[in-house]
Amino acid sequence: MSEALLAVEGLRVAFATEGGTVRAVDGVSFELAAGEVLAIVGESGSGKSATAQAILGLNRSPNARIEGSARLGEVELIGASEEQLREVRGARVAMVFQDPMTSFNPVYRVGDQIAEAIRAHRPQVGRAEARRRAAELLGSVGIPDAERRAAAYPHEFSGGMRQRAMIAMALALDPEVLIADEPTTALDVTIQAQILELLAHLNRERNLATILITHDLGVVAEVADRVLVMHEGRIVERGTLEQVFYSPRDPYTRKLLDAVVRLDQAPPLRPPRAPEPLLELTDLVKHFPLRRGLLFEREVDRVRAVDGVSLTVNHGETLGLVGESGCGKTTLSRTALGLLEPTSGSVRFEGREIAGLSRREMRPLRREMQIVFQDPFASLNPRKRIGQIVGEPLRLQGVAKGGELRGQVRELLGRVGLRPEHYDRFPHEFSGGQRQRIGIARALALRPKLVVADEPVSALDVSIRAQILELLAELQEELGLTYVFVAHDIGVVRHVSDRIAVMHGGKIVEQGPADEVCERPRDPYTRELLAAVPIPDPREARARRQTVGSD
Amino acid sequence: MARFVVRRLVGMVAVLFAVSVLTFLIFNVVPGSDPAVRMAGKNATPRLIESITEEWGFDESLPQQYLKMMEKVFSGDLISYEGRENVDERIVEGIPATVSLCIGAAVLWMFFGLLFGYLSAVRAGGWLDRGLTVFAVAGISMPTFLLAALFLNYLTYKAEIFPSSGYVGLTENPLEWAEHLILPWMTLAILNIGFYSRVLRSNMLDAMGEDYVRTARAKGLSERRVMTRHVTRNSLIPIVTLFGLDFGALLGGAIVIEGIFDVEGVGLYAYEALKNFDLPPIMAIVLFGAFFVVLFNALVDIAYAWLDPRIRLGSSAR
Repeated sequence: MSEALLAVEGLRVAFATEGGTVRAVDGVSFELAAGEVLAIVGESGSGKSATAQAILGLNRSPNARIEGSARLGEVELIGASEEQLREVRGARVAMVFQDPMTSFNPVYRVGDQIAEAIRAHRPQVGRAEARRRAAELLGSVGIPDAERRAAAYPHEFSGGMRQRAMIAMALALDPEVLIADEPTTALDVTIQAQILELLAHLNRERNLATILITHDLGVVAEVADRVLVMHEGRIVERGTLEQVFYSPRDPYTRKLLDAVVRLDQAPPLRPPRAPEPLLELTDLVKHFPLRRGLLFEREVDRVRAVDGVSLTVNHGETLGLVGESGCGKTTLSRTALGLLEPTSGSVRFEGREIAGLSRREMRPLRREMQIVFQDPFASLNPRKRIGQIVGEPLRLQGVAKGGELRGQVRELLGRVGLRPEHYDRFPHEFSGGQRQRIGIARALALRPKLVVADEPVSALDVSIRAQILELLAELQEELGLTYVFVAHDIGVVRHVSDRIAVMHGGKIVEQGPADEVCERPRDPYTRELLAAVPIPDPREARARRQTVGSD
Repeated sequence: MARFVVRRLVGMVAVLFAVSVLTFLIFNVVPGSDPAVRMAGKNATPRLIESITEEWGFDESLPQQYLKMMEKVFSGDLISYEGRENVDERIVEGIPATVSLCIGAAVLWMFFGLLFGYLSAVRAGGWLDRGLTVFAVAGISMPTFLLAALFLNYLTYKAEIFPSSGYVGLTENPLEWAEHLILPWMTLAILNIGFYSRVLRSNMLDAMGEDYVRTARAKGLSERRVMTRHVTRNSLIPIVTLFGLDFGALLGGAIVIEGIFDVEGVGLYAYEALKNFDLPPIMAIVLFGAFFVVLFNALVDIAYAWLDPRIRLGSSAR
């Protein structure tokens, strides 16, 4: 390929650590042509992000050693001076990062941050001119009322809007190459679909060569031309989208493909049993008042997080609760568990009213209901050993202590697929998937009847996701658990749920058996959610895009 | 903003009331604090003590005495038991010296504290950073009275570079004003330079790992701009908190420093009053100091909102 815009050859990134040299990237070569979308796919730690950062010289670790070559036209980027790299960064190669929440500086206006990028490369552009241009860019990526929004701060943007703004900033200087590093991983499925659409649109309109880095093959099928699969620092598979999806050669690629949860291949439903209610919510309302006033506050408005929800969860079943960020699903699950006081309505657990119980009255009930949190990194105390974390509920409820406690914790660790010798380790020694197993072990310690899993797999790689879902299903079978599975991705929810409830704006807009909700959705919002789930199949994805486009 | 100001004013009144009541009560329960006995002096007759008690109203109920005293503090009629001088006038006389001492020291410690912190962070792990770390730790660990004694011994008595003590008004003779204050300034500043530089350094190192700093680099900004605009500003918030508290407290009187260097400010007056168990000046100075602490706390909150747009004044946390 003589028209290669970016040619990477024999790229190696090694980190010197106490335990020896870690080869994060081990001889990666590829070319990127103008107007092409190249996807680099791999799990966390496969070296895909390190590759992208090495190209722009953004690996900051003093222990990193980078070798090989990355040529952008006539410029060699590996080993280039900071000065040369600065001319390339943002101007010729721009980057969009994973987490739009943290990628903007919180203390400056969004428009000013974009203007800053313009003026860094074109100092002759005046301040006002750069600001005007920033507002234009925001408009061009689909941000309504761009002029006014340019003067807003990042925290005043939603996640999807921030990622759009991030893309606008990347486009500020008309770069030749856009590197998008997990651009949709932190976003809801519906927003993910919009961002992918935007990237595809920019690629077509501006002939913008794009490197899309992701762990999710479903995302890739929607937009990529060519695919590289990375594993342990090497490229194990390369080819066109169709080659990689329909005739993968490497077993690792096949494994990745199998791990993608497919909406259209849901597992057979379990035979329904006689419904025996475990948790019943009736007209549940949770409002958060907004107060204002000079000295004495009075309520001026209220956030209707949960606005009249009636829902039943039966013994032994999994109820999927789906909705986007801000729909109230987390508030609903916390209120149902008695962690938040409902504004009105009733919560019955095994027939007993628990709304309005005092802390002390709730205490014995806490054993019966447990929760698994989303972020396995933030929800484990980094200064405690695994044994302490998992054993804490047992200790607090006075179930066991001393040697008996140790024994029970070890058994629990075994049950969730960890080893008993992990007892004395600290959370940072574990991968994301292992940490989520620890969270599950903690939730199961008291042998609860009901487990609320709040986005238990959304922070995990696709390949790990499948393992955790499987573990949850096994444990349900063995221990007769009842799950409320809360998630924003209806594809994942369908995979695990007997029944699904779709939540929107604090209300349940649709509920019913999983099959029925997914195949014959009645509510337009449910249809929207279903349409946003990426299809890990290039042909189907294309077919769907065309039908959606002709609407 | 109106809501913020009103709330703070109400808060300030509440704090000053609580502080004054506490001070008053402590004074009255401490044994041997009967002012009439002290004022009557040694070998006083019971008759004399009685007449003083009556004349000064020490036989009235505590709430009454408290109210009277507060009234006098705010009307400027408060007379001290020891020396019988007007307390408010003495405090006002001490203000120029105390304010000169505080502002000069604050300028020194903010300038060098931030400079050293910034350099340490930018060159983290290098020789400059190590040197500054040693200096900072030494400054933090050195008790101020020892540092003051060392300065006085070597720079004043042995080398005779600086005058030994006292205070000269700025308007009288600016040069002598500065000459007399250099040692107290340095003594006060060195502790805080060490402290502030360590805080800024660690905050900046944290901020450097933030995603938005990586974004700033990926935009092609120069390293200098990344550091000054994106790292430093976000690291200043804790510094502002510290500064507000330290400076506010210092204005209430730098008792040790003013005592050692004989700077005739509010702190020195407080020292005298404490020595003599003299309630009126203690009361007035405590209120004076508490006022500045509360005031600077409010200023800190305003500075927060300016530094970080996510913080809005006047909205409650809930």
